[in-house]
Amino acid sequence: MSVEDLPRKEVNVLKGHEGAVLSARFNADGNYCLSCGKDRTIRLWNPHRGIHIKTYKSHGREVRDVHVTSDNSKLCSCGGDRQIFYWDVATGRVIRKFRGHDGEVNAVKFNEYSSVVVSAGYDQSLRSWDCRSHSTEPMQIIDTFSDSVMFVCLTNTEIIGGSDDGTVRTFDIRIGRETSDNLGQPVNCISMSNDGNCILAGCLDSTLRLLDRSTGESLQEYKGHTNKSFKLDCCLTNTDAHVTAGSEDGYIYFWDLVDASVVSRFRAHNSVVTSVSYHPKENCMVTASVDGTIRVWKT
Amino acid sequence: MDSDEEDFVFYGTPIEREEELTSRKKKAIAESSGQLRTLPAWKQEVRDEEGRRRFHGAFTGGYSAGYYNTVGSKEGWTPQTFRSSRKNRAEFKEQNILNFLDEDEKAELDGWFLGTSSQFDTFGFTAAEIARKQAEKEQKQRPSVIPGPAPDELIQPATESIGVKLLLKMGWRRGRSIKDSHADALYDARRQARRAFLAFSSDDPKVKTSESEQNKDDVETFLEQSTNDDVQSSKSTPVFVLNPKQDLYGLGFDPYKHAPEFREKKRSRLSSKGGPGYSKNMSTRNSLFSLKSSIYHLSAGKSAPGFGIGALEELDAEDEDVYATGFEFEDTYVQEVEEPSTLRLENQKKKDQKDQKDHDNLPGFRVASNTDYQMERFEAPPIPKDFVPRHSFSGPLEINHKNYDLPPPDIPPPEDSNLKILIEGVANLVARCGKLYEDISREKNQSNPLFSFLSGGTGHDYYARKLWEAQQKCKDKTKPLLDGKVSSDVKRLTAESRGQILGEKPLERSLQDSSSSVASTDVHLQFNLTDTFTKSEPFGELPDVEKPFKHDPAKQDRFEQFLKDKYRGGLRSTKSSLAGDMSEAARARERLDFEAAAEAILKGKQGKESNLGIPSSMDFITGGLMQFTSGEAEPKKDLQSEDLAQKKKYPRREEFQWRPSALLCKRFDLIDPYMGKPAPAPRSRSKLDSLIFTSDSAKGAKIEEPVLSKNISYVQQSANQDITKSTAESETEGDVEVENIERPVDLYKAIFSDDSDDGGEDPNHLKKVENQEKKAEVANTALSRLIAGDFLESLGKELGLEVPPDMPYPSQKFRNTASQEENINEHSRTNTLKVEHNSEMPPNHGLPSDQDTVYEGGPSKGDVIHANMLESGSTKINATGIYDSKSGKSNGESYKDDMKIKSPLPREQDHSSGSSSEEERKRKRSGKSSRDKHEEYRKTKTLSTHRRDYSSGSSSEEESSRKRSRHHRHRRRTESDPSSDDERDRHGSRSKERKKGSSREKSSRSRKRSKHHKHRRH
Repeated sequence: MSVEDLPRKEVNVLKGHEGAVLSARFNADGNYCLSCGKDRTIRLWNPHRGIHIKTYKSHGREVRDVHVTSDNSKLCSCGGDRQIFYWDVATGRVIRKFRGHDGEVNAVKFNEYSSVVVSAGYDQSLRSWDCRSHSTEPMQIIDTFSDSVMFVCLTNTEIIGGSDDGTVRTFDIRIGRETSDNLGQPVNCISMSNDGNCILAGCLDSTLRLLDRSTGESLQEYKGHTNKSFKLDCCLTNTDAHVTAGSEDGYIYFWDLVDASVVSRFRAHNSVVTSVSYHPKENCMVTASVDGTIRVWKT
Repeated sequence: MDSDEEDFVFYGTPIEREEELTSRKKKAIAESSGQLRTLPAWKQEVRDEEGRRRFHGAFTGGYSAGYYNTVGSKEGWTPQTFRSSRKNRAEFKEQNILNFLDEDEKAELDGWFLGTSSQFDTFGFTAAEIARKQAEKEQKQRPSVIPGPAPDELIQPATESIGVKLLLKMGWRRGRSIKDSHADALYDARRQARRAFLAFSSDDPKVKTSESEQNKDDVETFLEQSTNDDVQSSKSTPVFVLNPKQDLYGLGFDPYKHAPEFREKKRSRLSSKGGPGYSKNMSTRNSLFSLKSSIYHLSAGKSAPGFGIGALEELDAEDEDVYATGFEFEDTYVQEVEEPSTLRLENQKKKDQKDQKDHDNLPGFRVASNTDYQMERFEAPPIPKDFVPRHSFSGPLEINHKNYDLPPPDIPPPEDSNLKILIEGVANLVARCGKLYEDISREKNQSNPLFSFLSGGTGHDYYARKLWEAQQKCKDKTKPLLDGKVSSDVKRLTAESRGQILGEKPLERSLQDSSSSVASTDVHLQFNLTDTFTKSEPFGELPDVEKPFKHDPAKQDRFEQFLKDKYRGGLRSTKSSLAGDMSEAARARERLDFEAAAEAILKGKQGKESNLGIPSSMDFITGGLMQFTSGEAEPKKDLQSEDLAQKKKYPRREEFQWRPSALLCKRFDLIDPYMGKPAPAPRSRSKLDSLIFTSDSAKGAKIEEPVLSKNISYVQQSANQDITKSTAESETEGDVEVENIERPVDLYKAIFSDDSDDGGEDPNHLKKVENQEKKAEVANTALSRLIAGDFLESLGKELGLEVPPDMPYPSQKFRNTASQEENINEHSRTNTLKVEHNSEMPPNHGLPSDQDTVYEGGPSKGDVIHANMLESGSTKINATGIYDSKSGKSNGESYKDDMKIKSPLPREQDHSSGSSSEEERKRKRSGKSSRDKHEEYRKTKTLSTHRRDYSSGSSSEEESSRKRSRHHRHRRRTESDPSSDDERDRHGSRSKERKKGSSREKSSRSRKRSKHHKHRRH
C-alpha cells in the first residue's frame, strides 16, 4: 500500500457528543462505528454516510471505552462509574451491569464468542465477566499488574493487557502462562497487528513500540507525535503496512511500519486526538478528539 | 403466604390511605349539597363536617362509638399515667372545660363568657381585651409606614404570609390564639392586662391619650373608655402594631430608654403645643414623631430630609446634606436631659422662629446666592506613543522589589565563611525560586540560629545585598528571555541562537518558520533542539558546560524542556512531562540538577559577555551546595554504559505461571490447562508479594537508580576520590562526606527505624566517641553540608516532594563503591564469612548463589542494574558481617539477644535452621569474625597515622553504612527489583522471613506509594 492510499481526506464529521470524545471504534465489519465520551453517552454512527443512529445513555460518568460484539447485537462499555455496562444494541437497554472494579474502568473488550467481557481497570486489575450466566461476579481477576491497566486486547486464546507500570502482559489461557513484556514506559494503548504476530504499544514517552509477540523483542519504535499525558489510541492499518496514531496537538501521524519514518502527518482536529480506529478492510479511519468531533477519513 | 406475612415486622403507624379520606370528604360534600336529603330519614346519616360518621346506632354497629362520641381522645376519661424522665420531662397538662367541648359547643359558649367591666377589672383581663380591641382599631387609623399620601390600601399584601396560610390549614381561625388556650395564655393575658391596667391607672381615663410602649415585643396596648362587648377575643393573638419608623435615630435606638419620664413629659408637651391646629390623629401618633411631624407640617410640602431627593432635582438639593437632621433632635434631647423644664420651651420657640425664617435650609445656614459648584471635567491622559497594549507577566520571580528598589549598601561579608556561603546560596535560591522559597525556609529554620539572617539577625544586611544582586542578575537574565521582543540586545534562547552561539551548523528547515507564532515555536522548538543535539553530536565541539547531560539524551531532553519552561513561563510547570515515570524525589533531585546546570550555563555565558564582579554562585557552586554540578562531569563514563544497558534492558520479557479459571477457559472454549491439577501454585501468592515490590522497583530501582546515581553521584564521586587517594588532605574531606551522609540517614531512621535499633547501636556509639575530636575539627564544614542537605530537603518540600526517604540511597551507593574498593583489603575476611554463611544456610535458601556472584566480583553479569542490585546485596551482607564482628567484639553476650531481634540476617537463619545449636554457631562465627576484624584493625594501625585516621573514619562509615543498610533493607523491601528469577527467589525467601516479622505494613505502605504514583499520572 502506498502512501497515497492512506486515508487523509476528511469525508464526514460526526458531531453530537457534548464534550470530549474518548474513543471511537469501528464495529467488526466496519460498517458502523461507536463512540463514547465525557458526556456519558455512547453513540452509534454510520460513519460512511455520516449519520447518527442511536444514543445509549445510562452511564453515570464519562464513558471511556466501548466495544461491540462481532454479531453487532451487544455492546459493552465502561467508564468512570466503575461499572461495565452490557447493552442490547437494538433496544438500547442495559442488560447487565458488572460491578466490582475498585476504580475507573479504562477499557473493555468482548472475546471472540461474545461470551466474556474483559475489562481493564484503574484498580490494577483485569477482570473477566461472564455474559452467559447471570452471575455478576467476575470470573477471574488478574491482578498481577502493579499500576493502572490501561488497555486490554483479546485474541482467541489470550488476554493482553497494557498497564501504566510499563508492562504488556499476555495471559495465555490455553497453556496457562503469563508473559510480561516490560517496556519501561507506561503503556497507554495496545493494538494487535492484523496477522497477530506483533503488538503495537503506545507509551507515554511519545513513542509507539512494536513488539514481537513470540520473542518479546522490540521491533521498532515510532516517534514524532506527542503523547505524554493523555490516553491516546494507536493502531495499524488494515494491511499492516503503516502505523497510525493521534497526537496531543491534534495531528495524526502515519509511520511506515518497517523503517519507522513518518510518511504522513496532518492536522485532523483542533485538540487532542484521543482515538483512532482503522477500518478492518477498507482504507478508512475514524478519529475522535477532545474537541467533541469524530472525523471519518478516506483516501 | 400467610405465614410469610406473619414474618413481616411493621414499624410505625401505617399511612392512612388517601382515597379513604377523599372519598369521605366527597361524601360529606355530596351530603351537604343536599343530594342525600332526598333519601328517606332512616337512611340519612349524621356526619360531622369532615364526613365522619359520628353516631352509630345501637343496632347498626357501634363498633367505633365509644371513642368518637366521648371526649375526643383515645384516653377518654381515663386518667393519664404519669411519665417523666430526665430527658423527657412530662409536660404538665392542664385540662379545662374547653378541652372536652366540641367545636360547636365552644361556639355556643362563646357568647356566654362573662367579662368584668373596667372598673372592677382587678386582674386586668377585660382591660387587656379592650386594649387589644382598641389596638386593632387604632391600627386602622395609624399613619402608614410610608409617610405621605400613599394610602394603606395600595400596599396591602397580595397574599397572606405562608405562616398564616399554614395556620389556617391547621384549623386556626383569625382572632384565635395560636397557643393552646390554656397553657401560657393565662399568664400572658394576665401580664398584658396588668400592663394595660397600669397604663390605664396612670393616665387620665377621660382624655383620649395614646400610650406608646417601646417594648421589645412592640406591643402597644391601648385603652379606651368605650367598652366593646365582643368578648370572644379571649383567645386572640395580640395585635402587632406597626410602629412606622419616622424618627432619625438608628434602628432600635430609644432616646428615652433610661429616662422614661422624659418621654412622658415630651409627649404631654407636644400634645399641648399641638393644640387645636393639630389634626386629631396626631394625638394618636407616637409622641416621638409628633415633633417631627410638626416640622413636616411647617415645611409644607418640602419633603423630609433623607426622603425623596431624586436624581433630577436641582443641584442645590444635592448640596445639602442628605442625612442632615431636619431638626436638631439631639439639641433638644440634650437640653431635655440637662434642663428639662424651662429652657426647652424657649428653645422650642427659637427653633420655631428659625424654622419659619429659613425653613428650607439647614438651621444656621443660609442659601448662597450663587453656587460655585461646577462639574469639572478632565482630559484623559494621553497615551504614550510607544505604549504597547500588551502586558507581559514576569512570573513569580519578582520578589518584593519595593524593598530592594534601592540597592542595599554593599556590606562586607560576615567573617564566617560558612555563613557567607549559606547566605549567598539562600539569596541565589530565593532569587531564582521566588519569594515563596524565602518564606518557606524562614519558617522552616525558625529555630535554627544559622538562618537568623532571614529574619533580620546577623548577616541580614549582607543577605539583603546578596538577594538584591541575585535578583538583578535574575532579572537581567530572565527579562530578555521573557519578552524577547522588547530588548533585542540579548537574544532569546532558541535552538537557532543556541546553535549560533555554539557554532553549530544551521539546520535544514523542514517545518515552517518557527518564529512566526508562539504556539508553533512551542511545538517545534523541542524538535529543533533535539535535532540540534543529535545532529551536532558528531561534531563534538560542545563544551560540556553547555550540554551537561550529554551522556543521557533522555535527561538532556528533559533538561531542555526544563530550560524552556523556565525561561518562557517563569511559572514552574508542575508536571515534568518528559520524565513521566520518574519518582517525585528523583524528579526533585533532577530539578535541582537542572537548576544548577542552567545557572552554570548562564553564568558561563555571562562571564563571556559581561563583567559582573559579583561573588556569584560560581563560587557558591564550588563551595557547598551546588556540588552536584561539579561532580557531574566525572560519572559520565560509567554511567554511559549503564544507560546503554538500561536501554538494552527494555523490553524485557518474563514468564510466569498463570492459572486461568475454569469458567474462563470454558467461555473461551478452551481446555483448562490446569484441569485436574491441584489448586493454584503458590507462585501467585509470592508473585503478588513481589509485585508489590515491582510497583516500586519499576520506578525506584529501574529508573530512579540510574538517575539517582547520576544526580547524587557528587557525593559518591568525591567520596570515591577521597578514599582512593587517601592523602592527608582528603581525609578530612572524607570525614566531611561521612558527616554529610549521616544526616539524612538519621532522618530516615527517625522515620522508619524501630526502637530496637537504638539498643543495637550502642557498641557503635562507643566507637563514635573515639571519633569525637575528629568530628569537632570538621564540624564547621560539616555544618555547611548539613545545611546543604537541608536545602535539598526544603526545596523538595517546596516542590511538594518527599526528599528524605531517598536520601540514604546514594549514600548506600557510595557505600557500595567505597566498600568495594575497601574490600579489596577485607576480601579474605568476607570470604571466610561467606563460607560460614554457606555452611549455615540450608541448601534451598536461595541466597548463597547470589552471594557467590557477589563476592566473586560484582558486575559480571553484564546487566549493570542487576549487578547494582547484587552489589547492594553484597553491601548488606558485608555490613551485617561487620556488624557481627563488632558486636561480637564489644559485647559478646548481648549479641545473641540483640541479633535475634535486630539483624535481619540472623533472623533468616532463625527461620531456616534449627534453633538448637544455632546460638553456639553464631557465637563461634562472631568470635571468628571478630578475630578477623581484630587482626585487620591491628594491621591498619601499623600502617601509618593517616591510615589509622582513615580507618577510624571508615569505621564510622561502616557504622553509618550499617544503619544505612538496615534502612536500605526497608527500602529494598519496597523497592526490590524482580529483574531476574533468582532475584525473585530471594524475594520469596525474604517474604518468608517477613511473615515472621512485622513488615506487613511495609507492603501496605508500598502499595500506598504505588497508588500515589498512579494518582500523579492521571
